[in-house]
Amino acid sequence: MLKIAGCLLIMSAGSFAGISTARNYARRPGELRSMVTALQMLETEISYTATPLPEALARIAARCDKAIAPLFSRASEELYAQTGCTAGEAWENALNKFYALSSTLPSDLAVLRNLGTVLGVSNGEDQCKHLRLAKEQLKGEIITAEQQAAKYVKLWNYLGLLGSLALILLLY
Amino acid sequence: MAEEKFFPNNKPEPWQEVLPVLPANLRRLISGLPRPVLAQLEEIRLRQGRPLMVGQAQNDAFVSPEGQLETLPAGAYLVSGEDIQRTLQLVSGASFYALEEELRNGYITLPGGHRVGLVGRAVVEGGQIKTLKNIWSLNIRISREVIGAATPVLPYLVNHQAIYHTMLFSPPRCGKTTLLRDLIRQISNGTPDLNLPGLTVGVVDERSELAGCYRGVPQRDLGVRTDVLDGCPKSKGMIMLVRAMAPQVVATDEIGRQEDVAALEEILHAGVKVLFTVHGSSLAELAGRPALAYLFRLNVVERFVLLGRSRGVGTIEDILDGKTRRSLWR
Repeated sequence: MLKIAGCLLIMSAGSFAGISTARNYARRPGELRSMVTALQMLETEISYTATPLPEALARIAARCDKAIAPLFSRASEELYAQTGCTAGEAWENALNKFYALSSTLPSDLAVLRNLGTVLGVSNGEDQCKHLRLAKEQLKGEIITAEQQAAKYVKLWNYLGLLGSLALILLLY
Repeated sequence: MAEEKFFPNNKPEPWQEVLPVLPANLRRLISGLPRPVLAQLEEIRLRQGRPLMVGQAQNDAFVSPEGQLETLPAGAYLVSGEDIQRTLQLVSGASFYALEEELRNGYITLPGGHRVGLVGRAVVEGGQIKTLKNIWSLNIRISREVIGAATPVLPYLVNHQAIYHTMLFSPPRCGKTTLLRDLIRQISNGTPDLNLPGLTVGVVDERSELAGCYRGVPQRDLGVRTDVLDGCPKSKGMIMLVRAMAPQVVATDEIGRQEDVAALEEILHAGVKVLFTVHGSSLAELAGRPALAYLFRLNVVERFVLLGRSRGVGTIEDILDGKTRRSLWR
C-alpha cells in the first residue's frame, strides 16, 4: 500500500516538474513578443510625444500584456516615489523581481538590463536607437525561443511522466 | 508629530520642494543644515569636483561632509561626477529626451516653480545651440512667493483704476520676478484700498518662471483674472495674448531683445498696459543696450522701479517717473 502511494507521489511530482518546465518553454516566446510590443510603445511615447518616463512606463503597464505589465508598473511606481533612485536603478529593481517570476532566460535579461543603463539619460533619437537595438536582440531571442519551444515542450511534457515511471520501475 | 511641525498646513517649505531632485547623500547634507539657513536658502550649487555650495540672501557658504556650513572651501564636501549625473537624472524626471527645448535654454523648471540652471558643453549646429552635453555645473534656484511684496510699490503704479506702463529693473537676484509676480497677483485680484478694480492680466511666461508652470499647470498664485501663456517667446506671445485673451495688462519677464521691444511697441499702442522687467542696474546702463535705447526713445514707459539688495533682497531703491525721470520714492 505504502509502495503504491510512493509511486503515485513520484509520478505526480515527476509529471508536474515536466509540465512546468514545458510551460516555461511554451510561454517564453509569447512573453518576448509582448516585450517587443511594449518596447515599441515606449519608443512611440518617447519619440512622438516625449512623455516623461514615469508616465510613459505607467501607460505601457496599463496597455501591455498582463504577463509583463508588472515590470513597467513597478519601475514607474519607483520613479514616481522620488526616492532618489535613477531610471536605471528603478528598471533594474523591477527587472529582478520580474525575472524571478517570468519564463525569460538570462540572455533575455541581459538585453533588458543593457537597455536599463541608458533609459532616460539621453536625447530622443538616442533613446530610440537603444530601444530599436533591444527590440532586434529580443526578436533574435524569439526565434531561438520558438525553436526551443517546438523542440522541448512535448519532450518535457512526456519526459516528466515517463522519467518518473522509469524511476518507479527501478525502485520497485 | 514632528512631521506636522515641518509641514505647516501640509505645504512644504520651498527648500523642501527641491529636495527630491537631489540624490540621497546630498539630500542628507542639505536637509541637515540649520533651519534658519534653510529658510533663507536661495540656491544650491553643484559643480563637478568642486565644493558643494549654498547661496543665501547675503552670502554664500560651503557645506561640509558632516552637513555643517563652512566659510572656507577647504573642509567642504566635493561634488562628484556621480552626484552630478544622479542629480541630472532626478532633475529631468528620468526623461532627458523630454527636455530638449529646456536644454537648449539652459535651465529646467521643477514642480513648485523652482529652476535648475545647467551648463556644460554646448553642441552648436548652424549657429544655433542644439543641446548641452557633458553637463558639469548645476544651480538649483529656489523660488519664493512673497505675498505682499508689491504692496509698497503698487500705490505708485496705479493711475485712475488702471496702471501705468511700468518697467522693473535690477541686477540679477534682486527679486524682480518675485515683485512682478506679486504685482500681477494684486493687479489681477484688485486692490480696494487703492480703488483699483481687478484687471485682466495676460502673462507671457517664456521661461516658466512667473507662474512656475510645471507641465502646463501654474504652480504660483497669479491672481484670479490672469491668463498665462507658458513657454512662448515673448515677442510672439505678447501679440498673441492681446488678440486672444483681450487683457487690460500684459506682463512679461526679462525684455531685452530687439524683437521683444518691437512687440512691446506694438501692444503699447493697442490700449493695453504693460508691466515688464529688465536686467540692469541703472537707466544709463540700460540705455547702452540698443534695443532698450530704442524703447527709451519711444518715451512710453511711465514708471521705472529699481530694485536692489541694500536692505535685503527685493529692496525698492527708487521709483522714477517715466517722463521727467524724477524720483517719486519716499
